[in-house]
Amino acid sequence: MTGSRSKSIVIWAFVVTALLMLSAPTIVVLGASFTAGNIITFPPEGLSLKWYGAIAQASDLRQAFFRSLIVATICTLISIPVGTLAGIALSKYRVRFARTIQIYLLLPFTIPLIGSGIGMMLVFGEMGALGKLWPVGIATCVINLPFMIWAVTASASNLSPDLELAAANCGAPPLQRFLYITLPAVLPGIITGSLLMFILALNEFLVSLLLVDARSVTLPVQIYNSIRSIITPDLAAISVVFIACAGVAIALLDRLVGLDIFLKSK
Amino acid sequence: MGIVSTDLHKAGAIAVSVKDVGMVFGDVHAVRSASFDLPKGKFLTILGPSGSGKTTLLRMIAGFDNPTSGEIFINGQPVSAVPPHRRAIGMVFQKLALFPHMTAAENVAFPLKMRRHDARTIGEKVERYLELVRLGGYGGRRINELSGGQQQRVAIARALVFEPDLLLLDEPLAALDRKLREEMQLEFRRIQKELGVTTINVTHDQREALVVSDEVIVMDGGEIQQKAQPVHTYRSPANAFVANFIGVTNFIDGKVSAISGSTVSVESNGQLLSGVTAADGAPLVPGTACSGAVRAEQIRIASARAGLEGLETIVEGQVADSIFEGERIVYEVTVPVLGGAILRVFNHDPVSHLQFGPGENVRLGWNAKDMHVFKK
Repeated sequence: MTGSRSKSIVIWAFVVTALLMLSAPTIVVLGASFTAGNIITFPPEGLSLKWYGAIAQASDLRQAFFRSLIVATICTLISIPVGTLAGIALSKYRVRFARTIQIYLLLPFTIPLIGSGIGMMLVFGEMGALGKLWPVGIATCVINLPFMIWAVTASASNLSPDLELAAANCGAPPLQRFLYITLPAVLPGIITGSLLMFILALNEFLVSLLLVDARSVTLPVQIYNSIRSIITPDLAAISVVFIACAGVAIALLDRLVGLDIFLKSK
Repeated sequence: MGIVSTDLHKAGAIAVSVKDVGMVFGDVHAVRSASFDLPKGKFLTILGPSGSGKTTLLRMIAGFDNPTSGEIFINGQPVSAVPPHRRAIGMVFQKLALFPHMTAAENVAFPLKMRRHDARTIGEKVERYLELVRLGGYGGRRINELSGGQQQRVAIARALVFEPDLLLLDEPLAALDRKLREEMQLEFRRIQKELGVTTINVTHDQREALVVSDEVIVMDGGEIQQKAQPVHTYRSPANAFVANFIGVTNFIDGKVSAISGSTVSVESNGQLLSGVTAADGAPLVPGTACSGAVRAEQIRIASARAGLEGLETIVEGQVADSIFEGERIVYEVTVPVLGGAILRVFNHDPVSHLQFGPGENVRLGWNAKDMHVFKK
């Protein structure tokens, strides 16, 4: 069966190449962060943790990181109720104009980020809110909300409409039906969506760039600003911390609900 | 049949009363003017093919849909304005609809929790009802750790634990394999008898309807075709639909030639066949186009020379096919005198192991009282 063997060789070669391409940037950054030298190089010159020490000392990076955490938290806290209710409504009830609403919800995500970013900059600027952190949280929430809604609808569409009827039949009034039956059933979707929202908000660069000022830079903007002056290995180190945060979120997701929810979502 | 409903109403013995209930979805009449009374403690089965309106009727009783006309009374009270969670009705769903994120015991406890019983009562009752459905000790299992039959039992316990006035069964056995289904039918019967709870069961399985019920309603096209006890439904179908839907029935088309009392003479292809009018059927007059219905098991088959003593109608035929089914043999017999009609006959002679083969000439015989004549 040479045919099938050569086919499997081709497929494996393809998979390995794809994996290498996907992970190359991460490997390079990871390697560069452990360098003992003073410039970013790959492979690194010697091994040391000195750049990790440097970022722990650098108060501007640390503060930017905390600001990013605040932004991500605001974004997640807003998206949980909004995304959950919208997701359940869109999948469970025959909402009038459901398709239109879905397209509308996708808009901030489909139109170029720079466009929606400028739009939000104008809105928040008019309100005199530029430079504060909460507008960044709201903006990242608006842009990424479709992810939350997708995650919730994926869970909710597996929910049999009979379950709520059964709960009604058991004597549960509408609010109890929602709290005891619908909500637990879509909880995996809510957890998935929340973690996604958190990570996306933590990483959001373009919209942050437009909405922050010198006193309120978030971490991605801070890194970008640093790149424009001198490129030192502490940027690689902070990137690794960043990647680690995302890794923790993914691991958490896998433990809590399992990653297969991504495969099942439509 | 034969229930004097006014007397029962006075005595408060009617659990469910359905009065002229209709349901229209757009321009489809799912249920047309259905009426029946169900005495307390009885087991009623609504039997019909899919699309007959039986499930719609059940959903209206449960309160999931409201009738577009008519009214449903539970314990004498009209319930149109009562939402489902305020009706004391237990229901077992077709797909069971057990709560997947709860254990078996939590599922059973849910109706009690919603009714704000205290924790001790809940604990005791959950245990008692799990015992009742023979699942003692399984309370801690998650739903997906239970077999299909065990899940059925959890669903039954959940529907009964709060001692509802009425139990509704929406074809919960349809998805089970035959052996388990027959076992669960008897289980439903046992539990229903033990608790004396008024029950309405919906099914398309005629055997189930005959086995479990005190009363059977046959529905078709949104209309009630017959309401009677199972034996009566089987032996005296009200019309051709009922005769055809329950059991295997041969129909011989003809014309009424004479009628006296309940005896009808049917002319078919120049032959005169004797039959009886259907007990609950439409009236017949001479000249009406009609159809004589004989059950496959009520036709005797014998060799061409045999006498078939005591049978009033005897015709000659030729075996077209004979199928061995174990406890019976199914014959398909062509009868030239009836215009070449093919009659289906169930028969078996387990003592002599006699079986007629294709092409053999045979005689068929049946009694006049076993041929029910329906208006066409």
